[in-house]
Amino acid sequence: MSLAFSRCICRVLPQHIVHRHYPVYIMSKFSFRAEPKKKKKVDPKREQMMRERLKKKLKKLEKVPPELIPIEDFITPTKCLDEERTRPISAISFEESERRALLLKEWSRYKQKQHMAEMKAVESALESQREALEELKITSEELYQAALKPDFTLLPFTHEGPAYTPPKSKYEAPDGKYTDTTRVYTQ
Amino acid sequence: MAAPCGRMVSRSVIQFFCTFSRPKSRNVGFRQFGISSACRVTLKTKSVSETASPSPYGLAAAVYLQRLPVISADCSPIEQSFKDMMHQIELEKSLLSDHELRLIEDAERLKRKQADDYDSDEEDSHMDQDIVLTQDLEDSWEQKFRSFQPAPRVRDDVDKDMSSVQRCLADSLVLVSEQTVGDQKLWLLPQMQWQEGETLRQTAERALASLPVGLKATFLGNAPCGVYTYKLPKPLRTESSLGTKVFFFKAILSDSGPSAPPNSALLWLKKSELQGYLKPAYLMKVERFILDL
Repeated sequence: MSLAFSRCICRVLPQHIVHRHYPVYIMSKFSFRAEPKKKKKVDPKREQMMRERLKKKLKKLEKVPPELIPIEDFITPTKCLDEERTRPISAISFEESERRALLLKEWSRYKQKQHMAEMKAVESALESQREALEELKITSEELYQAALKPDFTLLPFTHEGPAYTPPKSKYEAPDGKYTDTTRVYTQ
Repeated sequence: MAAPCGRMVSRSVIQFFCTFSRPKSRNVGFRQFGISSACRVTLKTKSVSETASPSPYGLAAAVYLQRLPVISADCSPIEQSFKDMMHQIELEKSLLSDHELRLIEDAERLKRKQADDYDSDEEDSHMDQDIVLTQDLEDSWEQKFRSFQPAPRVRDDVDKDMSSVQRCLADSLVLVSEQTVGDQKLWLLPQMQWQEGETLRQTAERALASLPVGLKATFLGNAPCGVYTYKLPKPLRTESSLGTKVFFFKAILSDSGPSAPPNSALLWLKKSELQGYLKPAYLMKVERFILDL
């Protein structure tokens, strides 16, 4: 580019000045663009791209992660930390603590027996079912296939569990009006 | 052009046959086995349809109808003592509730009132005149509770009536009916003979529907839960009927409907009471799947 410039200068300036034979040092700091100006299409494109990039950066900054919904069960309410609420502890006698320890051991033994009995009962029921299916297979193949098919009408199956007292016939329950104070959080 | 094409074609054909024959050579054994088993199956089905040589046992389906407990069972002595102990421990480890704080405050206020140097203006200035004592609140709640009469948990007269669905509400009951099998009247789980063209579960549903009382039940699945093979006594045995195979299907009672007439030969029994009614061999097979948990 500087060569082109020097050539221009040669043409422009009169010959006698140029033929002094000292090199024409063009300061390469200033890079003059001798090319014609850029076409108008590219500039707005570049500006547009710059604007988009800035917008994206802004959006990224504005993107706040959604606030986590607090689990109210894990937050100890300040009411419970009140000192006034501590119950006056009465010391437990030695006999009482012994009785409790022995009762706990009895309980664990009782529960273990109960559990083993339950497991045994379930196993025997499963065994009985397995034998029944084997017998059915020997007896008739198509009935066996029909028995193996899943029953889609069974689920969803609901059954009211046992309460403390049996249901009262002709009982008019009082109106249960209540105000719902559950706090609803939105993310 | 023709020669290379021909070569290519022949090569591809050879490759095709190679790939075809390679698995053949490897799995010749399996292939033959597959064919033979298929032949066998077809032969079998043919035999079943042509010559009626089914198993010599008749088929029947019975329904094990269970009424689940309606009330919670009573605690055994160890359960009761454990329950009390846990309650005590929980009480010791807990904090004072609002209600208890109010009780303590009221007690203190009462004590201060009864002291000689009591200045009523101090206290009443920032409180209303008519304070409801916590004790009064408690008394009113107690009264309200007493005014409500729940249905009794245990009714002895109903418990003794074996045919009532409302007996022994804390246990699960099984429906047992009296049926004539051969020439004997036996107590069995309600059963019905199997007919052509229906699944065993449908037979069991028919058995349930045939009972004189309108009982609604949910059958748990298509698979039987137990089987009982009944061999006819020797003099009655013929070539085609050696006996019957009874398959049991489990169902849970959802609605008992109107109460049955007393002579309908239907009983609701606990597992422990089954011994007095069912035959020993039958009982042995049946009590395996009757869960008394």
